[in-house]
Amino acid sequence: MTTSTQQRIGRFFTTYGIWIFMTVLTLLPIWWMFVVSMRTRVELFARPNLALSRLWLENYSNVLTDSTFQRYMTNSLVVSTGNALLVMVLALLATYALSRYKLAGRDNIFFWLITNRMAPPAAFLLPLFIMFTRTFRIEEITIFDVTLVQGWTLYDTQIGLILLYCVFNLPFAIWLLKGVIDGIPIELDDAAMIDGAGLLGVLRYVILPLSAPGLAVTAILSWIFAWNEYLFAANLTSVNARTITTALAEFVTVTGTNWGELAAMSMITLIPSAIIVILAQRYIVMGLTFGAVKE
Amino acid sequence: MKKLFTIVLLLAFALLANMSLVTADHHGWWAEAAAPYAGTTIRGVSESTPPSNYVADVLAPLFTEYTGINVEFETTSWDQMYSKAINDMEANTGIYDFVYIEQDIIYSYLAQDYLVNLTQAAADHPDLAFADYDEAAFTSFADYFKNADGDLFGVPMEAFVKVYLYRKDLFENADIQAAFEADYGYPLTPAETFEQYRDNAEFFTGYGEGMDMDLWGTTVQGSTGHPASTYEFLESIGPSFGLYNWGINLETGSAQSANGGALDGDTAVEALSYWVGLLPFAPPEATSSTWDEVASSFAAGRAAQGWVYGENAAWIATDETRSAITGNVGVRLPVTAPGVIEDAEMGNGYIGYYDGGAFGIPHSSRNKEATLLWLQFIGQPSVQAEWAAAGARITHTATFDDPLIAEQDTKVDGYYTLLEEQGPLFAGAPPFPFHAQVREIIDPFIHRVILGELTAAEGLSQAAAAVDEELARLGYGG
Amino acid sequence: MRNPRTGWLLLSPTLIILIIFGFAPFLYVLFVGFNQWNVFSAEDGLIFNGLDNFRRLVFDEDFLHSVGLTLRFAIFAIGSQIVLGFLLAQMLTRNFPGKSIFRVIHTLPLMVAPIAVGAIWRLLVIPGFGPVPFFLDRWFDFDYRIGTYPDQAMLTSVIMDVWHWTPFVTLTMLAGLSAIPREPVEQAKVDGANRLQVFWYVTLPFLRPVLLTTVFIRIMDAIRTVDEVWMLAGGGPGTRFTGIYIWRVVFPRTDYGYGSSISIITLYLTIVLCWLLFIAISGKSKDEVE
Repeated sequence: MTTSTQQRIGRFFTTYGIWIFMTVLTLLPIWWMFVVSMRTRVELFARPNLALSRLWLENYSNVLTDSTFQRYMTNSLVVSTGNALLVMVLALLATYALSRYKLAGRDNIFFWLITNRMAPPAAFLLPLFIMFTRTFRIEEITIFDVTLVQGWTLYDTQIGLILLYCVFNLPFAIWLLKGVIDGIPIELDDAAMIDGAGLLGVLRYVILPLSAPGLAVTAILSWIFAWNEYLFAANLTSVNARTITTALAEFVTVTGTNWGELAAMSMITLIPSAIIVILAQRYIVMGLTFGAVKE
Repeated sequence: MKKLFTIVLLLAFALLANMSLVTADHHGWWAEAAAPYAGTTIRGVSESTPPSNYVADVLAPLFTEYTGINVEFETTSWDQMYSKAINDMEANTGIYDFVYIEQDIIYSYLAQDYLVNLTQAAADHPDLAFADYDEAAFTSFADYFKNADGDLFGVPMEAFVKVYLYRKDLFENADIQAAFEADYGYPLTPAETFEQYRDNAEFFTGYGEGMDMDLWGTTVQGSTGHPASTYEFLESIGPSFGLYNWGINLETGSAQSANGGALDGDTAVEALSYWVGLLPFAPPEATSSTWDEVASSFAAGRAAQGWVYGENAAWIATDETRSAITGNVGVRLPVTAPGVIEDAEMGNGYIGYYDGGAFGIPHSSRNKEATLLWLQFIGQPSVQAEWAAAGARITHTATFDDPLIAEQDTKVDGYYTLLEEQGPLFAGAPPFPFHAQVREIIDPFIHRVILGELTAAEGLSQAAAAVDEELARLGYGG
Repeated sequence: MRNPRTGWLLLSPTLIILIIFGFAPFLYVLFVGFNQWNVFSAEDGLIFNGLDNFRRLVFDEDFLHSVGLTLRFAIFAIGSQIVLGFLLAQMLTRNFPGKSIFRVIHTLPLMVAPIAVGAIWRLLVIPGFGPVPFFLDRWFDFDYRIGTYPDQAMLTSVIMDVWHWTPFVTLTMLAGLSAIPREPVEQAKVDGANRLQVFWYVTLPFLRPVLLTTVFIRIMDAIRTVDEVWMLAGGGPGTRFTGIYIWRVVFPRTDYGYGSSISIITLYLTIVLCWLLFIAISGKSKDEVE
């Protein structure tokens, strides 16, 4: 009796001890970012001090009242959400096709899809730049003397980034969903079809509900990857479609890095994704099984 | 609330002040000249620095008001600025109507024929030439944006020189002076020779240690992960020892002394050894410091003296929100080896880098005429002084006489006077059409010398060989 | 009943997007890789030079060094993430009050943009404003300067990557662990297996697909890492990884030809590495079927 109580107490303390230790380690950098965001530029270069001396919000108000910042934030939200939705739909269709149909060279297609995520991005910027500015270019569309479009290019547009981010998000999403959809017994599809459901019906009433956690996690992770992307956004946008991560890099200038505002902006950009993840905690774990749930 | 009101009031005043910058009769000229282009939007790319921000926030709206031409600014980081402008100009896409040209890249751009000849353009369009805009009125800095015929390709936007800064509160403290003299046998003064500079650095490092202060003897812009360290060596330390043009001989296309170059020569080795020898007297962040971090360290009071880019001198000396040593900053010409000043005065050399940038028009621009008006607008004398006060930059000779600058000058210990009088001793980057390419080649060797993996002599001789290899590959070799 | 044509139709939007934005640029890079092309060279345009670029990179010490560093980085970082992620996931399978709070906190680093991660860690470790070198010096008299000691720079980027990506591994491991059926574990315990044996003979085989997939994804991403290390140390000694090296060759040096050929080789090496892992994964699932 006493030994088991002792054991339980011991276990209690180890569990919490480890978790508190891990929490401190995890939070330390974020805490420091928060502290920095509350400091003036002079204070920052005084002796390092991990304590928060006061609430000083000017960095935040500077960032939040900046109209460019608001535009960047909107762009980021549009691009990540658009990309996540697109990826979710396309990946569901593609994975379903790979899972249910006997397509010639299925395994090779699957592997090729994945290799798209492996390319080192730097060298690919040049062809993408040329493609965005030259290939996808509409000089003019005029209908009944009304000029609808003039000199439009994919460069510096939200849709350009939404499509481009598919290159690294789709492979990931398809992979993640592959296990999930493979895990749904094919007999369920057949039963639905016998009941008269078409392809869309099967997707809608069988696959969608059963793969919901997987889809949710796909969308969330795609959203986060898109939200955090920097290199493509920095090079393939100019003024209109710039995202929030490019704004972070702008704080580093020849006349000094504005660390306080950089930290403030980092804190702000952290908030939307943190909210999503907190709301969707359960699904994330349920959806990330990569097909290990096969019964 | 009260604070907000004050800010609004200040902004209103600032706007009013700017309105009066250009006199009313010119208003008509701008409107007339710009009439065919009213409503167009011109776009440019620049870094987010105080001078650029002043252009974007104050001059651009003013220009729009006068002409009806909209100006759109894209701000990026320093690394991005180059690649974006080069991609645009090389692919001839016409995204930008004006680009920021850092002085050192101009010759690469000229060699590729990216830029519109502004002198020529003004002559071709007399109706667009603004009377008050005069190319000859720019400081000698504008010479480094010209081709061999003396035609201008960029309107100077900002210009600075890298100066010697020191802490007056330390150098003028009687106790410290006495302690120094006791140790070294001569009085403590801002350094005039390299030996003295080193003594000062050693002394203050020891002093900081003894007093348990976060104080070291000198700054070193020694980042091992950034080109800033190569720049400090090639553009500041090297020239002040008498190593000019990066030790590269354009005629023979070589950096090796066996072939007419000087990058592996005795002067270069002496300069690099001296500079690396200062590291023990520099704050621990020196090996991670780029240009802005050197300024930040100095502003935090962590170094007693150092080489600091001029764009930072003003805020370090005056801006209390950013600097802990306001009012205590001394400004001098950088230390030089014997004979270097004479070389510079004769036009055979220079004592450091005349740093800055200009706005130019790429050939790929589709709104060249409107942009030509815009560049003249920012190049006219009447807007210079306010801009100088906001961004600590001077590119126009008339600016020095402005009362606003005279007042600033005393606060920054005569930095502007130094710029006016000694500015011509500094020079722009060597006229290389392969600037960034070769600097990238030299970088890793300088980094390894800083880390102590190579001696100065080894590093430079390997660097010179690698430079020659790259020059041959690029087609500029001997 | 299932017409392959329908399958292709479903797959086609994905294929079209990936061919346009993934494969077409790849072909372009492949083509440029066989040419000498530097925008700022004396001669304009592309000059076909066959395999010269590839010959050059075999002797390019900087490139080889960067590959070595990248592999070392990937091995250390991913190894630590797997071990740490597994242990944390194991602890999360148990129920205890406050579990979800810990889990949320532990997921936070995943949400921070890589470029912000690099900035935060730079703020932590650069002397002058970083608390880490300050306290290491004060308490242990330890000289911590990532600009001066390449090994410290490497170690710091590994720790940074572990901080950033362990949450991802924990989540996938947790998903994998929760999917393991109870009976075999119970059965093994009844048969008298100790905890290590249960882990080795029961948990690990079940976890293998998830484990390998996680490793696969992390390898792909670790080899491409640029943003955060760039922000942290600028790719100086100790952190000049292949991704950063390529960036330097392509951008400041504008050596598009050589940069393209390095990219192709790096992509090829990554694919080979991943193909081996892929075979390991799918080979296992075949065993299960049989």
